Amino acid sequence: MTAIAVRVADAVKTYGKGDAAVIALRGVTAEFAAARFTAIMGPSGSGKSTLLHCLAGLDSLDSGTVHLGDTELGSLSDKDLTILRREQVGFVFQAFNLVPTLNAEDNILLPLAIAGTRPDDDWYHTVVNAVGLGDRLTHRPSELSGGQQQRVAAARALVTRPKIVFADEPSGNLDSKSGGELLTFMRHAVDEFGQTIIMVTHDPFSASHADRVVFLDDGHIVDEIHDPEAEDILDKMKSLGD
Amino acid sequence: MLKVALSGLRTNKVRLALTSLAIVIGVAFVSGSFVFTDTINARFDALLGDISAGTDVYVRAADPEFGNDFGQIILSMPEEVFDTVSEVEGVAEAEAVIDGFAQLIGNDGVPIGGQGPPTLGTSWMLSRTLNPLQIREGNGRAPNAPGEVAMDVGTARVNAFTLGDDVVIQATGPAKTFRLVGLASFGEEDNLAGATLLAFEFAEAQRVLDLDGRITSIAIAATPAVSPEDLADRIRPVVPEGVIAITVGESNAQTSEQIADALGFLTIGLLAFATVAVFVGAFIITNTFRIIVAQRTRELALLRAIGATGGQVTRMVVAEAFVIAVISSILGLIGGIVLALSLQALLRFANAGFPEGPLTVLPRTAVIGLAVGIVVTVVSALLPARKAASIPPIAAMTAVLSAPTRKSLTMRAAWGVAITAIGVVSLAAGLLAPVSNAIWFVAIGALVVFVGISVLAPLAAGPITSVLGWPLPRLFGVPGDLASQNTRRQPRRTASTASALMIGVALVVFVAIFGASVKSSVGAALADVFPADLTITSTNFTAGVSPAFTDQLRAAPEIGDVTPLGFTQIRVDEEVVSATSVEPDSVNRVIALGASDTDLAAMADRNGLLVNREDAEYEQWLGRTFDVEFPNGASAPATVVGTFEASADGFGRFLMTRDRYLTGIETEVDSLVSANVAVGVTLDEARTAVEELAAPFPNLQVQTTSEILATAEAQINGLLTIFSALLALAIIIAVLGITNTLALSIIERTREIGLLRAVGMARRQVRRMIRWEAVLIAVFGAILGMIAGIGLGWAVVTALADEGLGTFSIPFGQLLVYIVIAAVAGVIAAIYPARKAARMNILEAISYE
Repeated sequence: MTAIAVRVADAVKTYGKGDAAVIALRGVTAEFAAARFTAIMGPSGSGKSTLLHCLAGLDSLDSGTVHLGDTELGSLSDKDLTILRREQVGFVFQAFNLVPTLNAEDNILLPLAIAGTRPDDDWYHTVVNAVGLGDRLTHRPSELSGGQQQRVAAARALVTRPKIVFADEPSGNLDSKSGGELLTFMRHAVDEFGQTIIMVTHDPFSASHADRVVFLDDGHIVDEIHDPEAEDILDKMKSLGD
Repeated sequence: MLKVALSGLRTNKVRLALTSLAIVIGVAFVSGSFVFTDTINARFDALLGDISAGTDVYVRAADPEFGNDFGQIILSMPEEVFDTVSEVEGVAEAEAVIDGFAQLIGNDGVPIGGQGPPTLGTSWMLSRTLNPLQIREGNGRAPNAPGEVAMDVGTARVNAFTLGDDVVIQATGPAKTFRLVGLASFGEEDNLAGATLLAFEFAEAQRVLDLDGRITSIAIAATPAVSPEDLADRIRPVVPEGVIAITVGESNAQTSEQIADALGFLTIGLLAFATVAVFVGAFIITNTFRIIVAQRTRELALLRAIGATGGQVTRMVVAEAFVIAVISSILGLIGGIVLALSLQALLRFANAGFPEGPLTVLPRTAVIGLAVGIVVTVVSALLPARKAASIPPIAAMTAVLSAPTRKSLTMRAAWGVAITAIGVVSLAAGLLAPVSNAIWFVAIGALVVFVGISVLAPLAAGPITSVLGWPLPRLFGVPGDLASQNTRRQPRRTASTASALMIGVALVVFVAIFGASVKSSVGAALADVFPADLTITSTNFTAGVSPAFTDQLRAAPEIGDVTPLGFTQIRVDEEVVSATSVEPDSVNRVIALGASDTDLAAMADRNGLLVNREDAEYEQWLGRTFDVEFPNGASAPATVVGTFEASADGFGRFLMTRDRYLTGIETEVDSLVSANVAVGVTLDEARTAVEELAAPFPNLQVQTTSEILATAEAQINGLLTIFSALLALAIIIAVLGITNTLALSIIERTREIGLLRAVGMARRQVRRMIRWEAVLIAVFGAILGMIAGIGLGWAVVTALADEGLGTFSIPFGQLLVYIVIAAVAGVIAAIYPARKAARMNILEAISYE
């Protein structure tokens, strides 16, 4: 039995009020193992992004609990959540991941700089080498390709040695080659560094890099596959009518 | 397309509100100036009509070329003129009047008023029809015996005088005590524009005002059969030369004009500040529209993609500007009325005694206010609107937003230098060349220089903010670093935001430098001319220094040499000029007017004149003989026998002997007396002695030279404070501009701020980041302003060096204070945007469209 990185129980989340209310999560309970790569999939409006945001402490639940390690997120103040994000969580978004005024290296070190701490040099070099940017570290985001930008974002997510990295469609804006490189790097981070990653995607090829795929539909977890192949995922998605 | 423009407006109310504010303030100042002065003029007109209702014609001893707005030179005619006039056919009722000046002394022995509004002394008129004054029920009775006086209700109230009080009054001689028997009103009004009014029984007024056997005017009511014009025409042939007959209409029109003239400086001042406010507002409007266009690049490109022409896009942006302009200008008009009401309340609070009544809003005010607001806004939005037309349709499809455009810096530098050069030429023309309306050349030159600097400012924005921002990362880590970087992202935006602040700071710095220079030069000039130990002046210009006092002063053992001076106006060669009287044998021993003893002796011997060498054409006057005519009509020939030269202004073109001066004035007084302390007596001892001698003359003020300097400096400081306070308004508008730019920039950087929050930046750090960006922009603007202000100050002070303006010096301490104020202003400007950024919802910030 591996350790549990994140645990969510009876998660309910509704947006809007009255007739316009949209129920995004209708009682989701799940556990996500540490040092594993989990993908969350589902058709549009299934609640997958909402679940990710709530797990990451970016959004709060109407009812239910989220435990990140031993910490229950619902009881944390905004200040505590900020510190939690800074120290224990890494993010990779679909786009606009980088601060345009900072070069690649400063972007990678941004969370540490915000916290006012020094990077662990060995770890920093390990991450930077793994991400394969080499000589482009002094470039600004506008001088990097989309794939390079996302890899910088991934390196930034790893540099604080977070308990968990959340990725929201990280390859969504990339061509298949760049996307493949990014996902290979994420897989590598899990295998080599024991990093925990939870990724939201609707792309079966991306999800096939994960150890486990959780399927969400209409605010419920409807299924899951371990060590998936792309075809299995595709079949599953078709059955969900995406 | 208008529909799109309007929907654009509705979706961003903050943008609308902040942009409007700059226009609202500008228009409010323009329209407020007009409403305020129109109202005062209208009310004075109404009051004049009211109090002169029973009068048809005035006969006055008057020479319209002499005197200033408040007619401080008293002119009179023999009493017999009254008898002649009352016999004219068509005169129903006539009464002789004595008008002059009398100084009311407070219970603490200090003169009341006299610094601004006049201290009127008059005879109480017996005719109810003709008397402009009335005594309301319960306010006592008219003065009808020697030793009695009536006072205006307002003055009595402010100074806590009540009926039956003994009040001390001084006219030409020593002060005397009178019994207060009546409180008079002007129609509905208790007071007239802050003046103090004292009314005496007719014969007593003649004695008090030193006008025995003389009168100053005659008020006349016509019989029903004759018009005021006809009656005036009938009177004119029978009165002696120097006496005029005018209808009440003409007289009131003249008075109205005098009041309008006196208020003119106020109108000009308010409009000047309105211009500065509008000018600063224009920068903010341009900047706002530039940002709006940048932010809506995709939307505008989409419109282009679906078939809108570039012209349509431009018109859409202009239409948006127009709608903002109309709404803001209307708000500005309302603001102007509020401003006028506030000024009025302020005057009431200060007991200025302006007549009360409804506000006068002329159509002209609304037209000018709306025109200024609309034209300035639309013109300011024109450049960004034209830029909007150049957005290619493809921009709708690309994700890259707000990438800094790198346009030709050389072109910008060339334009900036060219515009600045034009401004400098205009400045130089105004300052150095003999052009008419020099002040316009200077003012427009300064404004053009500001535009030129603002064009150049983006080039300086990078280097200067780098230097200023250098300590920030070291002090505040990432927020500091990002704050500094963000100021350099859009150098043009930073520069034009800072330029708005530059203008206010430049003007404040200029006023400080100019003021310091004026102070030092006025001080030096006064010290040069008045090396005397003690100078005695009258707090009330018209009362002057009584010769009785001067005689006692000469006799005092503590005092050495004494010399009196008199300031007056004379007519020579059909031109009215200022002149000063001196006592030739004592003047050089006490004060320094740059006249040789020989010239003074010649002037005394031949009762001649000395001409001022400061006068450009003084040489042509030398040796000439001509008639010198005084305001009272006295005239005698004089020869220019020599020259003088005073480093201080105010002595006029000619010096004359005191003997000649005394023939030309109605009441025998000097304007000031200077005295040296006797050998072996300390200044303090002498001063005590002189103050004792002056005790019966409460209007006299004994001052040492350093006290005179201090008084002059205090007056200049007062003016500088008023100017700086009004210019602070320009700085407040500029601060709004910083808030506006930051608020819009934050909307643009929503994702970035969301990202920073997501990766662990605390709200406090976000606020700090925005705050320091604001401080950097503000300090950059202040530095630009100082450079411009110092340049302007240097140019004006250097160019006017010939006029006796002192040395150019930079008040470094004050500049440092301004930098600190600018930084604080930046912090204040950032409050709203920083809160907004810190409260940004992370999820919304990072979600995709």
